[in-house]
Amino acid sequence: MDFVSGYKGVVGRVFGNDNATSNEDSYVERLLDRINNGTKAEDRRMAMVELQSVVAENHSAQLAFGAMGLPVLLSVLKDERDDVEMVRGALETLVSSLTPLNHAKTTKVEVEPSKMNADLLSREVDNISLLLSLLAEDDFYVRYYTLQVLTALLTNSLSRLQESILAIPRGITRLMDMLMDREVIRNEALLLLTYLTREAEEIQKIVVFEGAFEKIFTIMKEEGGSDGGVVVQDCLQLLNNILRNNTSNQTLLRETVGFDPVISLLKLRGVSYSFTQQKTINLLSTLETVNMLIASGPHAETGKDTNSMTNKTALVQRKVLDYLLMLGVESQWAPVAVRCAALHCIGDLIAQHPKNTDELARKVLGEEPQAEPALNSILRIILRTSSMQEFIDADYVFKNFCEKNPDGQKLLSSTLTPQPHSMVHAPSEDDVNMSFGSMLLHGLTMSESDGDLEICARAASILSHLLKDNTQCKEKALKVELGPTPQSMGTPEPLMHRMVKYLAVASSMDSKDGTSNGKPNLYIQEMILKLLIIWLVDCPSAVQCFLDARPHLTYLLELLSNQSATVCTRGLAAVLLGECVLYNKCIETGKDAFGIVDTISQKAGLTSYFLKFDEMQRSFLFSSKKLSEERKPVTRSSGASMVEVEDHENDARMEDERNEEHPILASLFDADFVAIVGSLESNIRDKFVDVYSNPKAKVAVVPAELERKNGESEGDYINRLKSFVEKQCSEIQTGANPQQKTSGSSDRFQVENFRRDLREASQRIEMLKNEKSKLENDVSTYQDLASKMESELKSLSDAYYSLEQAYTQVEKEAKSSKTGGATPYPDIEAIKAQVREESQKESEAELSDLLVCLGQEQSKVERLTARLLELGEDVDKLLEGVGDDIGLPEDDDEDED
Amino acid sequence: MSYDYLFKYIIIGDTGVGKSCLLLQFTDKRFQPVHDLTIGVEFGARMVTIDGKPIKLQIWDTAGQESFRSITRSYYRGAAGALLVYDITRRETFNHLASWLEDARQHANPNMTIMLVGNKCDLAHRRAVSKEEGEQFAKENGLLFLEASARTAQQVEEAFVKTAAKILQKIQEGVFDVSNETSGIKVGYGRPSTAAGGRDGTVASAGGCCS
Repeated sequence: MDFVSGYKGVVGRVFGNDNATSNEDSYVERLLDRINNGTKAEDRRMAMVELQSVVAENHSAQLAFGAMGLPVLLSVLKDERDDVEMVRGALETLVSSLTPLNHAKTTKVEVEPSKMNADLLSREVDNISLLLSLLAEDDFYVRYYTLQVLTALLTNSLSRLQESILAIPRGITRLMDMLMDREVIRNEALLLLTYLTREAEEIQKIVVFEGAFEKIFTIMKEEGGSDGGVVVQDCLQLLNNILRNNTSNQTLLRETVGFDPVISLLKLRGVSYSFTQQKTINLLSTLETVNMLIASGPHAETGKDTNSMTNKTALVQRKVLDYLLMLGVESQWAPVAVRCAALHCIGDLIAQHPKNTDELARKVLGEEPQAEPALNSILRIILRTSSMQEFIDADYVFKNFCEKNPDGQKLLSSTLTPQPHSMVHAPSEDDVNMSFGSMLLHGLTMSESDGDLEICARAASILSHLLKDNTQCKEKALKVELGPTPQSMGTPEPLMHRMVKYLAVASSMDSKDGTSNGKPNLYIQEMILKLLIIWLVDCPSAVQCFLDARPHLTYLLELLSNQSATVCTRGLAAVLLGECVLYNKCIETGKDAFGIVDTISQKAGLTSYFLKFDEMQRSFLFSSKKLSEERKPVTRSSGASMVEVEDHENDARMEDERNEEHPILASLFDADFVAIVGSLESNIRDKFVDVYSNPKAKVAVVPAELERKNGESEGDYINRLKSFVEKQCSEIQTGANPQQKTSGSSDRFQVENFRRDLREASQRIEMLKNEKSKLENDVSTYQDLASKMESELKSLSDAYYSLEQAYTQVEKEAKSSKTGGATPYPDIEAIKAQVREESQKESEAELSDLLVCLGQEQSKVERLTARLLELGEDVDKLLEGVGDDIGLPEDDDEDED
Repeated sequence: MSYDYLFKYIIIGDTGVGKSCLLLQFTDKRFQPVHDLTIGVEFGARMVTIDGKPIKLQIWDTAGQESFRSITRSYYRGAAGALLVYDITRRETFNHLASWLEDARQHANPNMTIMLVGNKCDLAHRRAVSKEEGEQFAKENGLLFLEASARTAQQVEEAFVKTAAKILQKIQEGVFDVSNETSGIKVGYGRPSTAAGGRDGTVASAGGCCS
C-alpha cells in the first residue's frame, strides 16, 4: 500500500478545498472516463490510482464515485481479470469508497456516502457473486481487498449480504477456504465470518459443515490458546456465533470434535499467571462459550433442554469443573470478572443435574495439609470478597447446589456446630481446618463486633439455601445454640434469636445514619428476613422458637409500620408475621394463631397489614421483567470495556441506582423466592379468615370487649358477638386483595346463575312430566271407549246375523209350507218383504249411528296423535298396545326430557 | 471417540419421503410417525464399524422443499456420501430423482458415493414404484440401491453402512485424496499413519487419556 500514500500527498495538495463540490464531481468523472475509455494501459492505471486516493480522502468525491463509478469498476473486475494491477486498483478504490471518512467538515451531510455506496453495491446479487469469484485469484492483494470489501458490505447491510451469500452456490465454501490462507487473509476472513454468522442459523450450519470447528481450534492453538492475541478473541467470537442458540451445531461439536478444545482454553499455563487484558477477554469469551452450551436460556425449545443437560454431563466428564474452580476459586491472580464468570458457570453446570452436583461436592482443592472441600473455599469467598458480583455468583453456586438436593443440604448442615470458644476470635486465616458449618456460623456471628452486618447477611443467605424445603435441616439449625456473648449476659442463645437480633440491629443502624459508610444496609434486613421466612415455612417448631421470645413479635410489628424501612422489608416482615399464624401449632395463650392475629389487628390493623403485601408485590423486584436480564456477549468492541467495567460495576451501580434496584436484591428475589412469597401470601389470607371463623380458637382467648357483660341477656350477647365477627370479617375482606375479591364474587355470581338455571330446568322437566301423564290418561280412556264401541258393534252385528238366520228360517218354513200345497196365508210374500225391509232399516240406522260414533273417535284419536307428535311422543309405540288391549309400555320415561 | 475415518453424508430427496425418519432410525433407533418439516438442515452422527475399522458418520439431513434448495446445495460439495431417497408409494418422488441427481452431479464432488433408497417399503400394498424400476434407475446412473423402511428399521442400517463400505473401498483403491477437505473424508486420530498426527495428535491423546 505504500505506493498509494505517495499519491495521497499530491492529491491532497491539489484538492485541498473540500467545498469545491462541482470540481470533485467533474474530476471523478474525468478519471472514470479515462479508466473506461482510455486506450493506453499505463494511463488507465494512473487514473485508477488517482481515483482511489481522491475517494479515500474526499467526502464529495466519495459521493460522486457512488453515483457514477460503480459500473465502471465492476466492469473492470469482470472483464479485465488479466490486468492484475487494474483489478487490484479497482478493489482498493471500492474499499475506500466504503470506508467512512472522519472529516470534520462532514457535519452537514445527511447521508454517509460510504453507507450509500455499500447499499448500491450490495443491491445486486451478481456483484457479490463477482466479488466471491475474485477470492479464487492468485494475487494476494486481490483476495485481501476483496475480503475487505465484503466485510465493509457486511457491516452496512448485514441481512442482505447474508441472503446473497446463501443464494450463491458454494459462496460460503469459498469464504471458509480463506481460513486456510496466509495469515493476513486468514485474519480478515475470520472477521468477515464473524459478521456473516451473526444470527443466521443456516449460515452457521454451513460454516460448521465446512469444518469451522476444526479450523477455529487449529488457529487458536497456533496462536497460543487463551494466551494468544486478538486473533484468538476473533476465533472465540466466531465460535460463539456458530454455537449460540444452535442446538444442531452444539450436538455436532459434542459428537465429533468434543469439548476438550474448549476446556483446554480454560487451562492456565505457565508460572507467571499473568492476566493481561487480552487474556482476560479470551477467558471471558471462553466462559461465555461454556455458558452457551449449558444455559437453557430464554429461547429454550423442548429439545434444547435435553441438549443442555447432555452438554453439562459431557463437560463435567471432561473435567471442566477443575479448570473452573482454578479460575474462580483458587487462582489469586484472576481478575474479578473472570472469577465471577467461572463461578456462574459452576452454578449453571450443577443446576438440576444431580450427578454434577455430587461431583462438585466431592471436589477438594489445594494440597495436604491445606486441602479442603471446594464448597468450603467458595463459602470463604462469599464471606470475604469485596466484590458484590462475586458474592452474587458464589451465592448462585450454593443456591443451585441446594436446589432439590436434600442429601447435600444435610451434608453441609451436619457440621452446624459452634466452634470452640478459643476459635471464635482466631484470625480467619486459620479457618482452613474449620468445617463448613462452623465456618458458616462463624460468618453469621463474626461481624457483630464491628457493627458491619454485611458478612452476617451473606452467611444468612447461604443458610437459607441450606434450610430451604428441608425439615431435617431446619430442626437441626433450631438446635444450634451460640455461646454466650457480652450482650447475651452469659446464657447461650438459639441461633434464630441471634438472627432476629441482628435484624433489629440492622434496622437501628439504618435509622441512625441512613447510609452508613457508603455501604448502606439496604439488603441486610431483606436477606435476614428471607432466611427467617424460608426457615419458618412448614415448620411449626421454628415458629415456636421464634415466638419463644416475646419481643420478637413486638419488633416485627414495629418493623411493619416503620416508615423508614423499605417497601420490601415491610412486606417481608408481614410475610413472616403471617407465617407465625399459618404454621402455628402453639396452644399457649397469646402465642397461638388467634392470639397473633388479634395482636396484628390491634397493633397494626388488618387492612394496613395486608396492604404491605400489595405494596411489596407492586415493587419492581416482583415484576417478571428483571428475570430477562442477560449477559451481553463479548465482542471486539465491547471486550475491553467489559473487563474494566466489571471491576467498577458495583460502585457505578451503587451511585446511580436507588436502593430498590440493588443488584443483590435482584438475585435475592429470584423467581423461586417470589413464587414462595406469592403462595405464602394467599395461604396467609385464607388462614386469617379461617382463624376468625374457627370458634374453638376464639374460646381460648377472648378479648375484653367480647366478654359477657353483667346483666346482658343471652340474645343480646350473641348479637353483639355476631356483629363483632362480621365487622372483623368485612375488615379482612376489604383488606384482601381487590383482585381476589372480585374474582371471588364473580365466582359466586356465576354459581348463583348456574343454580338458577338448574332450578328452571328442573321445573320445566316437572311440567313436561305432568303433561305427559295427562296425555297418557286421555289415550287410555279413549282406548277403553274404542274397545267398548267395538264390542257394541260386534253384539249388534251378532244380533243382525241371528235376525237374518231367523228370517231364512222363516223363509224356509214358508217355502216348505208353500210347497206343502196349502197356502193359508196368500200374502205371505208381502209380509216377508215388509219384515225384511223393516229389519234392514232398523239395523242400517243402528250401523250408521255406530259409524258416526266411530268417526268421531277416529278424529279424536287423530287430533291426539298430532298433539303427541308435537310433544315428541313416539305415537306408533304408544298405539302399539291399542289393538291388544294392553296398557301403555312403561319405558317411555326417557322421552320426558 | 477415536475413529479411523470420518465420512460426511447428506440425505436428499423430495419432501415427505422420510429422510429425517431414516436418520432418526439410524442414530436413535426409533421411529417418529409425525415428524416436523425439516427447516434448512439438521445434523446427526453415529459410529459404525466396517472391516474392523471404526468410522464416524456425520450426517446432514436436508429439507426437501424447493424453497430450501439453495441452502441445501451448499452441503453437496463437502459430502463423501449421499442417500438419495424416494417414496415407493408416491410415483412423483421417483420421477423427480433425475433432477436431484443432476443437482448432485453439478454441485458435488464427482467421487461422491450415492445410495438410492426406496423408503416406506413396509407399505407394499400401496406400492407405486416397483423394485425393478428402482434397480434399473440405480444401474443406469451408477448408484447403489436398496429398499428400506424407516418405520420397521428394515434395511436402514444397511443403507448407511453399505455406503460407508463403498467409500472405504474407494479410499483403498486410491480414488480419493483424503487430505483434501472437499472429499468429505477425514482421517481420524486413531490412525497411525498420515499427517494428522503432529501437534494435533499430542493434544488429542492428552485429552483422551488424562481422564
